[in-house]
Amino acid sequence: MNTTDKPLLVLGAGIAGITAALEAAEAGGEVLLVEREPYLGGRVARNHLYFPKLCPPLCGLEINLQRLQRNPRIRVLTSTSLVAAERSGSGWRVVLESRPAWIRDNCTACGECARVCQTTVPDPFNLGMNQVKAVRLPHAAAWPHRYILDHDACSPEELEAIRRACPVDAVDLQAQPTRQELEVTAVIVATGWQPYSPARLDNLGAGQLPDVISNVQMERMAAPGGPTDGHIKRLSDGQPPQRVAFVQCAGSRDVNHLPYCSGVCCLASLKQALYVKEQLPDCQVDIYYIDRRALGRNEDVLTRVEATEGVRLVKGKVGEIKPAADGKLSLRLEDVEAGRLVDASADLVVLATGMVPNLAVDGLPLEIPLDDDGFARDDESARIFAAGVARRPEEVAASTRDATGAAAKALVAARRA
Amino acid sequence: MSTTSDTRNEMVQRGADSVFRCYQCATCSSVCKLAPEGSPFPRKQMLLAQWGRLERLAGDPAVWLCHQCNDCTVHCPRDARPGDVMQVIRAKAVEDLATPRFLGKLVGRARLSWPLLLGGPLLFWLLVLYALNGLAIPQVPVGQLVYDQFVPHWLIYLVFFPVAGAAALAMLISGSRFWSKLQGAGERRGTLLGNLLPVLWEIATHRRFGKCDAAGGRRWGHFWLLWGFVGALVATTLAIVSLYLLNHYPLELDHPFKWVGNAASAMLVVGGILLLGYRLREDSPLGHSTAYDNFFLAVVLLVVFTGILTELGRFYFRPSLACSIYIVHLGSIVTLFGTFPYSKFAHFVYRTLAMVHERMTARTN
Amino acid sequence: MEKVGVFLCTGCGIGSALDCSKLQEVASEAEAAHFATHDCLCGKEGRALIDRAIAEGTVDAVLLAACSQREKAEVFQFDRTRVAAERLALREQVVWSHPAGEEDTQMLAEDLMRMWLARLQRESLASPLEEQIEPAVLVVGGGLAGLTAALAASGLGHPVILVEREERLGGHLADVKEVHPEHPPYDELQPNPLPEKLAAVEADDNIEVLTGCRVEKIGGQPGQFEITLATAGGQQQRRAGAIIQATGAHPYDASRLEHLGYGRSPDVVTAPQLEQMLAAGKLARPSDGRRPDNIVFVQCAGSRDPEHLPYCSSECCLTTLKQVAQVGRDFPDSRCLVVYRDLRAPGQFEHFYRAVQEKSRAAFTRGLVERVDTGGQHLQVFYQDQLLNEPGMLEADLVVLATGMVPNSADGEAIREVIDAQARIDKNESEKQVQDAQKIVDELGHHRGTEILNLEYRQGPDLPVLRYGFPDSHYICFPYETRRTGIYVAGALHAPMDYSQALEDGWGAALKAVQSISLAGEGQAVHPRAGDISIADFFLQRCTQCKRCTEECPFGTLNEDEKGTPQYNPLRCRRCGICLGACPERIISFPEYSVDSVASMIKAIEVPDEDEEKPRVIAFLCENDALPALDEAAARGLKWNPWVRVIPVRCLGAVNTVWIADALSRGIDGVMLIGCPSGDDYQCHYIRGSELAKTRMSNVQETLERLTLESERVLVEECSRHEWRKVVELIEKFAETIDEVGANPYKGF
Repeated sequence: MNTTDKPLLVLGAGIAGITAALEAAEAGGEVLLVEREPYLGGRVARNHLYFPKLCPPLCGLEINLQRLQRNPRIRVLTSTSLVAAERSGSGWRVVLESRPAWIRDNCTACGECARVCQTTVPDPFNLGMNQVKAVRLPHAAAWPHRYILDHDACSPEELEAIRRACPVDAVDLQAQPTRQELEVTAVIVATGWQPYSPARLDNLGAGQLPDVISNVQMERMAAPGGPTDGHIKRLSDGQPPQRVAFVQCAGSRDVNHLPYCSGVCCLASLKQALYVKEQLPDCQVDIYYIDRRALGRNEDVLTRVEATEGVRLVKGKVGEIKPAADGKLSLRLEDVEAGRLVDASADLVVLATGMVPNLAVDGLPLEIPLDDDGFARDDESARIFAAGVARRPEEVAASTRDATGAAAKALVAARRA
Repeated sequence: MSTTSDTRNEMVQRGADSVFRCYQCATCSSVCKLAPEGSPFPRKQMLLAQWGRLERLAGDPAVWLCHQCNDCTVHCPRDARPGDVMQVIRAKAVEDLATPRFLGKLVGRARLSWPLLLGGPLLFWLLVLYALNGLAIPQVPVGQLVYDQFVPHWLIYLVFFPVAGAAALAMLISGSRFWSKLQGAGERRGTLLGNLLPVLWEIATHRRFGKCDAAGGRRWGHFWLLWGFVGALVATTLAIVSLYLLNHYPLELDHPFKWVGNAASAMLVVGGILLLGYRLREDSPLGHSTAYDNFFLAVVLLVVFTGILTELGRFYFRPSLACSIYIVHLGSIVTLFGTFPYSKFAHFVYRTLAMVHERMTARTN
Repeated sequence: MEKVGVFLCTGCGIGSALDCSKLQEVASEAEAAHFATHDCLCGKEGRALIDRAIAEGTVDAVLLAACSQREKAEVFQFDRTRVAAERLALREQVVWSHPAGEEDTQMLAEDLMRMWLARLQRESLASPLEEQIEPAVLVVGGGLAGLTAALAASGLGHPVILVEREERLGGHLADVKEVHPEHPPYDELQPNPLPEKLAAVEADDNIEVLTGCRVEKIGGQPGQFEITLATAGGQQQRRAGAIIQATGAHPYDASRLEHLGYGRSPDVVTAPQLEQMLAAGKLARPSDGRRPDNIVFVQCAGSRDPEHLPYCSSECCLTTLKQVAQVGRDFPDSRCLVVYRDLRAPGQFEHFYRAVQEKSRAAFTRGLVERVDTGGQHLQVFYQDQLLNEPGMLEADLVVLATGMVPNSADGEAIREVIDAQARIDKNESEKQVQDAQKIVDELGHHRGTEILNLEYRQGPDLPVLRYGFPDSHYICFPYETRRTGIYVAGALHAPMDYSQALEDGWGAALKAVQSISLAGEGQAVHPRAGDISIADFFLQRCTQCKRCTEECPFGTLNEDEKGTPQYNPLRCRRCGICLGACPERIISFPEYSVDSVASMIKAIEVPDEDEEKPRVIAFLCENDALPALDEAAARGLKWNPWVRVIPVRCLGAVNTVWIADALSRGIDGVMLIGCPSGDDYQCHYIRGSELAKTRMSNVQETLERLTLESERVLVEECSRHEWRKVVELIEKFAETIDEVGANPYKGF
């Protein structure tokens, strides 16, 4: 591969961005990988297991991060966002802004600073389900393996104590945001997604009933080292649930919310049903769905769940969730195959909330063609290519496929003068 | 299910093309506050309508148990508007159950036939009065008008009793046909009459309407409208009593019987305005109105307003004007009575029967 | 290496928890050429210290006694052609996970120092391959995915040879007029994208198209594939650096769906048959040519059925929606009725589903079709309606079966098995052997004749396949990886997919192909050890032709000569070391990973006498999963038994049983191996490593018996990357077992 020295810019270092960056770099391309969080991995880093194999995302990430560290052609900027972009020649001139690096990259993750820090904040990695110290690793397996500091949460005295505790002088309390301007050949937009805000699903009790959680919360709950240390339990009383209900299409396939199908929620719930059964074999699991969309080899997960005792798949969308008199939750739906209205009981409800492209919410200072739902389209003439869920609602296996494709498209574009 | 005649176009013509968007998620049934546990609606009805199985819906009580709250339409993720579709299914059922059928079709096509339906009776009155006395308007000062001098009571009876009787007979035949069709849906216990009273009490209180979320506001409009009709019926009866038993005619404005009539008019006006206002509200969760719905509401409003104006006309208008209004009033009443079994008005009978049926089969469901 | 320098980091608590001067003594006893300490080795000064020692020639190998090999990897990069380097994880494996200042902790650190020094002393420098690399890419299959791949590879600057078995390019899409929408707003049919691709391929001088052409033979290795093609005009030779197989899929054989009426009535057709009618603009019943009034679509005809195709074919719902849309638009008098199990229109295709319903006014229901009766005037589709909860019957004039897709793959391994079995039959050595071989031939014989690539590989002529015949290997994280280096798959062969995904898939496969050529040119391994420039050395004089290496390599790296001597193809090699683990003669070595160097680590462990009551345990940990899990456990403050000496390995399959025997005969009390979960849903990055380890260790049990040692002393366990608690539990439990079993009687021998 012969490309100019100018790099290809990859925005977003979730699984799609990492894949695009690595595949381009291993094919000989220079890559600048930019991530707004302080760590790589995006949404998949928060997933407990992948479907359909029920294997940990960290396994593939481990390999990818080793590849990334070994590859001299990739430069990574974390805590960094694109703030401006303009066409320059056939490529782009971009301005990137990094948040203040309160902790420099010579941090060894020894943990001395955390010992002196008393302030705690809601843990963003665990979706605020627990408290963490203001100075901490973003999460145990984070890469870069470097502490971060919630500067504004600490008093000046505490900040000073944190600074002094560091044996390698990595804490910089005078850090400023930094900007850099550079030329890139093409842009891969892999900015990912965020869960559809459950607050908009008020008929389903989201945000009002503590035992109605979202699928992303469930993912954290099941993860060892997560907010409940891997234990699936009711947030209201800390008890393990006896009956878990999964409510599919909580927001998706709904013209009042997200008119598209989020493409992953069926599998996510099937997978999470297996988490529950693995941990709580006597727990009854009910999945309420419109269509069971387990495409391709993912059908195996559906087959497996259907064969699992104590799991029921019920055709019928849940219309309303209310607290019941016995302290449990009552779900109103029509059991279509039985032709009856039922008030199903559950003591933990998982809403299969859909995916909203970050582009539709936060936007980017870059003119990207979007569809009506905010998913990005390729713009070959502008050398902008989309990958992963920025492009369409899809699973990891599809994201890694089209991220590789996006890398190819960007490299082809970069070859053209 | 089986393949039957293709009624897709019919659904479209009646303004229910949204039904084809339904993907059977069953949200509609789950949010419906009126659906019975054992036989939820309107999800199944949506499917049958999408498949063109309208004949199967003719004997389906759910079609009439639906009060068009439109909670389903508000929550439908596909914008398939189940509330509208149910309305269309009802209109179609009224038409199919009609006796004779052609009248059902005629009223069912109100979008085209309304000039005939409204103008026909009006023309009839004009012709009859012309034949009788050359449309001679009593030459009296303002405030002295007695309508009997313009349209004699015997003429009114001669027209109204047959029309109302025919309508009642038609309604009776259609109603009993419907009642026997309902038999397919569950095993009944008890007698019709025995169950009718509690149902009528429920209707009188409009308790069921209160369960509606999205269109809960319709409860009172519909409530007052119903009681207005009841009031009008009572007032008419009292007027006849006054005329023939008490020999007191015409009634003064402050006569207690008059007050019953006035109260009924007031209820009709309030109910009508509430419903209309609800329909016109910008964020109205009500469904799309079809010509068929609008025709019925228009006739009711026409009857009510011409009635009020007629009353006022006796005291305050020039006799020529008052008499003109009176003729329109009489015409619209004929339309209202005459189309009763074929218009939306018929729902009074069908829904009541469906509720009775529901009551009688409740335990077997 | 001769001059191993030890660089001891005293930061992160190492200096205060350990007696560093003792460690220095240990290092000098072990003949370290240099010893230096720094309180922040990963800082600029620390790295400068190392660079200085290298530059001055004091050291030719560096042992970084600091943190885990996974930490600060970007700081500790070395040119492996000049310097050997290893990481000793004092921080994670000693200081964070054991109480400071205790004797056992210090002994652990000292043992590890000895072990890694011994290892480095037996390593050598890497000398990268410098080979002539062919830039061309061979694309097998001229459907949409193949065409896209060809154009993409050409766009990336590589010549392309595009080979198509049929006389025309285009595959299944050649018969298609319109497709479901891939563009917003996703509610209208789109023209078939094929003609545009065909025109682009035709216009591309960099792409050589050969139709009516089969691959007769592929020899060589990535970067140097020697290809023999068979065309109508005779044989042709080509060279290519990488291969993309895009041979697509074929519809499931509908004749097996007799209960659905196929074959019993001409009016029961498959979706591709309807496609032809629609493309021709003629909708007619095959029996009498009349326009059908009612068309019933039966979804999942074959798919999602354990008797037929257990997987979902992914595109049938979309194709049916498209066909319904076409019928609705072009033949509005014909009515479509669709019986589905789940309507699968994922993602933005939901818009299409809605639009088709609205525009075509078709009837959809959810149900299971039981049978189609063909006797009467109309076809009768009997089914259980799951939306009305009642049995149903639809009268149809035309029934369309949405048959699923079957990948056009050949099971390379099965073919190999048949060939081997046939050879055993021919040899006719014993009746039992012949019988067993015949069984294999009977069971798998049908795979013969399905060959596509005809690779001249010991392990079979085609790509090995996963469940259901898809020839990929890690389809979630690394979707383009296969088990043959330099050969990638694209399109419906890759996974069940619709045209729009196939259109994308070609791009990715092309990049991987080009990448493998580029890495071969740089002498680097491909995934997952990209950047590794070392290659294996086979000391063939001692080879006994046992064929274990040639059979067990997951990537088909090794061929055999007639005698069965392995022939190493370095460009096929992924450097996993599984061959090294297989070899009973210890003849396979990598410069920095060999039977000898790891054996020397084992020898370097000081084994205390029995009466000291300090058992010794070796834990071989897979460096991709178990080792990171253990690192994480240490960072989280978990403690484990100080008797355990961890040796990271490239893969559990790269553990040679000789090491076990060595360890036990030296008085080590127990050996455990922790690797990735194996089985159908394996997590092993080298596919079969952990599974092979299990088989091999069950063979070790015989050795244990011979030595009259307890079988509990050797244990293979599985642990995933996220199971940091479990990995410690496994170690603790094993240490407990060893304590119960008692001391190894060979101590002191």
